[in-house]
Amino acid sequence: MESKNKPVAALINRDFTRVVESTVHSRGMPGLRTVVETIPCECSVLAEIEKGVSAVMDNLIAALTRPLTEEEKSPKPKEAEKLARIIFKGTLNEIDRFFYRRGWTDGLPVMPPTEEAVAEMLTGTDLPPDYLVAEIVPRNGKATVEKIAINAVMAGCLPTYMPVLIAAVQALTDLDTSFGVWGVSTGSWAPFWIINGPVRKDLHINSGSGTFSPGDRANAAIGRAMGLIIKNIGGIRKGVEDMGCLGNPGKYTLVMAENEEESPWEPLHVELGFNRGDSTIGVAFPNTYTQMQPYGTDDQSILRTLMYNLLPAVRGGYSLILPPAIARTLAASGWSKQDLRTFIAENGRAAAYELGSFWGQRAGGLYREKVPMIASDSVSLLRPELTRIIVAGGPGVFMGQLIGSWAIPTRKTLKKIELPKNWDTLVKKYRDMVPVYARY
Amino acid sequence: MSTSNQGIYEVLSPWAEADPVPIRGLTAPRLNDLEGKKIGLYRNDKRAAGPILNVIEKKLKERFPGLQVSWYTSQKTDVPEFEDWLKSVDAVVAAVGD
Repeated sequence: MESKNKPVAALINRDFTRVVESTVHSRGMPGLRTVVETIPCECSVLAEIEKGVSAVMDNLIAALTRPLTEEEKSPKPKEAEKLARIIFKGTLNEIDRFFYRRGWTDGLPVMPPTEEAVAEMLTGTDLPPDYLVAEIVPRNGKATVEKIAINAVMAGCLPTYMPVLIAAVQALTDLDTSFGVWGVSTGSWAPFWIINGPVRKDLHINSGSGTFSPGDRANAAIGRAMGLIIKNIGGIRKGVEDMGCLGNPGKYTLVMAENEEESPWEPLHVELGFNRGDSTIGVAFPNTYTQMQPYGTDDQSILRTLMYNLLPAVRGGYSLILPPAIARTLAASGWSKQDLRTFIAENGRAAAYELGSFWGQRAGGLYREKVPMIASDSVSLLRPELTRIIVAGGPGVFMGQLIGSWAIPTRKTLKKIELPKNWDTLVKKYRDMVPVYARY
Repeated sequence: MSTSNQGIYEVLSPWAEADPVPIRGLTAPRLNDLEGKKIGLYRNDKRAAGPILNVIEKKLKERFPGLQVSWYTSQKTDVPEFEDWLKSVDAVVAAVGD
């Protein structure tokens, strides 16, 4: 609006000043006049809003009326960052501490990205190191193949993970993913990566017992690398640009493969229009993971468990994770994935009074513009078009749901993983990188 | 804990380059006075944004009885409606509810 020659006063919460600073600088308008207020986030208490606004009215009026200074008219350009390619020399411990103090890690020690290690990582792609895969918001950092490889080394990736990471960056930066929203939001949405196709087996990506538990290099390192890429390329740092209120352990890593071999249904990527022989990666941004023990193992008990355990306070996309035994029971009883989505949407309901929008509407005139609801109205909690059903897990019947955000893999945001020409040789080279547990 | 036989390594920077962003200064002259002006109230869909601007509207009108306001309540800014709205106001107060 300022660029269209209109004076603007933008209210910002005092705890968001750093993220606003990063945003206005990355958009080239450091002089934007902000009015810092202290109203609690998403406040629905009118008295607190009144108090907070009263405190800043003089500043707000001044922001619209005080003549522009020369500095505001012609701000000095920020000194360009001088980026050395070789950033540090030292022992393993010194490197780890240097990286940690720069804010380049996720808190855990990282593998040192030496020239040699990065060169090995780059064998995982046919693309040249300077190939620009995408720019990642909000910093618009350049996700070149080399920068992806450097962060991949730090995370402990094998070179065979590179094609997955490149496709993951493409999924992340697809405009329909709206990463600029989910990556920085107070809702603490964690990127949740879903991998399909033959690459699952090539990389030993776990889709069986303990799908979401630690212990598999691919599941651990792919998600971790994407977290580092988001931080070091996108420029999203916790509490600075990432304003997640509680945060989310899923931001360390949240990667799964679909257990296609044990699923009675078409896998996700085939449902969305890819060939079964394609490998794909998609991303959703849930902030909640819950597990449900079915009320029984017959189809009616399973359905009731699913429809009665949706959460009124967490709306948005749903990823329902069904273990093979449950999926087989449902399929044997005639349920397709689409049948399930439709059934749960129609029957997974809550009374209006269980929803936040109902109470917001009743609080002191807030939400006046919303359509009035009656307390006993029944509201559907799940939208079929925003629901993905994925088969994973080992023996057992616990079902999972990862809920929240409107981002969910679609035909457009699911990305094909393009493999290098020497893929079979590469896979063979790293194939034995699997844990072998001793018996006791 | 470091040990005496650790090797020395050179490491590459994980921090990405970013194209320099052209810096734009503010060009819109500020208003001499808010009396008699039409102030745009721009909000997103966060639940506090509307109530905050409601209070601002009330307080602005208390101080400047001749002041008018015009609301824009959609986040769509690439549509003709937004351009028309922006042209119709003298200045904007933006609230996003965080």
